[in-house]
Formats: sequence, C-alpha cells, structure tokens
Amino acid sequence: MSFTASFQNKEETKDFKEGLTIQDVLDDLELSSETVVAKQNGDIVVEDTEIQDGDEIKLIQIIYGG
Amino acid sequence: MTVCTKCGNPKVVITRKQSGQSLCSDCFIKSIEKKVQKTIRREKLITKGDKVMVALSGGKDSVVTLDILNSYRERHVIDLCAVTIDEGIKGYRDEGVRIAVDHAKRLGIEHEVVSFKDCFNIDLDEIMKTDNHRGSCTYCGVFRRWIINRQARKFGATKIATGHNLDDESEAILMNYLEGNINNLSSLGAITTSKSPKFTPKIKPLREIPEKEVGLYALCKGLEIHLAGCPYAQESFRMEVANILKDLSKNHPTIMYSTLKGYDKIKPLVKENYALEYHDGDCEICGEPSSNKLCRACTFLKELGKEVNI
Ligand SMILES: [Zn+2]
Ligand SMILES: [Zn+2]
Repeated sequence: MSFTASFQNKEETKDFKEGLTIQDVLDDLELSSETVVAKQNGDIVVEDTEIQDGDEIKLIQIIYGG
Repeated sequence: MTVCTKCGNPKVVITRKQSGQSLCSDCFIKSIEKKVQKTIRREKLITKGDKVMVALSGGKDSVVTLDILNSYRERHVIDLCAVTIDEGIKGYRDEGVRIAVDHAKRLGIEHEVVSFKDCFNIDLDEIMKTDNHRGSCTYCGVFRRWIINRQARKFGATKIATGHNLDDESEAILMNYLEGNINNLSSLGAITTSKSPKFTPKIKPLREIPEKEVGLYALCKGLEIHLAGCPYAQESFRMEVANILKDLSKNHPTIMYSTLKGYDKIKPLVKENYALEYHDGDCEICGEPSSNKLCRACTFLKELGKEVNI
C-alpha cells in the first residue's frame, strides 16, 4: 500500500494511509498550496482531494519568488 | 464530493476562496478568458487594428498573455508580435528563450530575440562580476525597458503588452504607497500612456488575475512554460511586501483585488496632481527619450565602461 510523490525531479514512494489528502503531502514536504499545483495520475486536482493506493502525485511549483 | 459549480463535472481544478466557487478545467479556462476580455473592454486596452507587441519571456505570465491576445488576432481584431530579451544568464535564460521561440513559431507571429550583449556589449552575468554593480534587478529593469521601447518602434507596434498579474500589480501599488513614491504610483494601472511619441502605450491584460490562476490556466491549456526562478533574485523590499500581501490573502482572499480597485479609484486624482514625468529631450548617446543628458541605460553603461550599439 503506497503511492509516489514527485517534486522537482525528485520522486519518493510514500506509505498509503486511508483518508490522506494532497494537502497532507504538501504539508509533509513543507510546500504551500499558494505556489504549487498538484496532479493526481495526470489530472490537476484541488488540495482536499483524497489520495488512493497506487496514485502518482506530481507537484508542480508555478510561483517562484523574485 | 466537490463538483464544478458551473457544469457539475466532478474533475475540479480549483476552489476559489474568495467566492467558494469550484471549477473544472474547461469552465476555469472560460472564466479566465472572460475576466481578461472584461478588463480589456472596460479599460479600453486594445482597439481594432492595433499591432500589439508581447514582451515574451517564456514564463507563465507572458505565455498566457500571448495565448489570450492570440484569440483577438484569430478574430482579426489585432495583429500580434513578440520580443524576447536574452539578458545573458547562464543556465537560466536559454530554456525560456527556447519556449518563447516555440510559441511564436506555433502561432506564426513576428518574433525577435534581442540580447543585452548585442545591444550593450555586456551581458548580465558579466555585469554581476564587476565591482560596485548596482544589483541585477536594477540593470534588468532599465535595460529591458530600453529594448522593449525600441523594439516596439521597430515592429511598428501600437501597444506593448506585459504579463503583470494581480499579485504583481497589488505589490507595486502597496510598495510605492508605503515608500511614499507618489510619482511612481501615478504610472501604474491597466494602461500607461506618455506624451512622448517615442513611447508606445503599455497594457496589462492579466492585472486582475491572481498569479496562481495564471499558472493554473497555462497548465490547464497545456501551454509550455518556463518554470524556474531567476538565479539573481534577491531579498528585496518588494519581496517583503509580496509576502505581507500573500499572508494577508490567506484570511482575506479579496485583499489584492481591493488594493487594486481602491488604487484605480484614486488614480485620476493622483495623476492630476502628480503628472507623469515628461521627457522633453533625447539621450545624447542613444536618442531615447530622457529628461537628462543621458538616459538611465546609457548612464549605467558609462559606469560599466560600455556604450550602446545603435
Ligand atoms: Zn465545469
Ligand atoms: Zn541613452
């Protein structure tokens, strides 16, 4: 029971838990939903979307400071 | 489960804090296009027959500006062209230039890549290696403006479109306000004109679109964008102001929009009392409008021991 989360060319396999959301993954990686867009198996999703077993989560930073 | 407020599609890409509205990709794209069209109409940003030059870096803001203005070109309302500036930042700018070139080719529009090196005989990487430089952003701002103004005349453009979004614009308003810089404050807004015939009016079609939504629009439309931060970005007062606004927005999601709208209301009064600086002379070296003997670009170049290529 796991899913993968990738951010800036780094991919991590994470343990899957029932009820886990995109927001939890963002918090875990200390990323802000204000600057990052999440894709779940290729589809853009909102932060309260629940993660499923085997998901591929891709986090894309769209806002850079400066 | 959340569904699209407009069409019921369960694939929601955004829930807007300010309105509680949830949208699917198609409805979100439509909502952005409608909002930008509304700004363009209300502020009279373009008139039929305009030739609009987009300052195209390859980043999300300029790519989305180009994409939305292209719908006006397709309807034969305007003609479109683009300029990309290569500041000469190794490991950063090349990718943006490639993406800009690809977009211009795909749309089949007139496009030119102009480099600092070609214009000024020095690039940003070289400037940053000199002693006592003024900081990257100072050169970039002045040199880019110089190139954009000149290229607009070369293209015969009647408007220059930049990708400023709601975050950029509200930051600039608050920053100039906090610094008491009322002269700069009077030159913000959706359209900037000048009495000098050498300056092409500048328009900001995305100024009411939050930065995150500009990025989301690019992703939803599958537009390739350059995702990277400038390696020379540094701590600045502007960044501090940006952070304050972003923090405030968490509990007050309409704060940037109200900053903008409040400014728009006082702008006519500010303009009346603090007229835009009018450059009645030309720079002795390059001929660009300047109220001093030398324009800012030529002044900086002189310090660096360089001169413009005309
Ligand atoms: Zn919809
Ligand atoms: Zn000059």
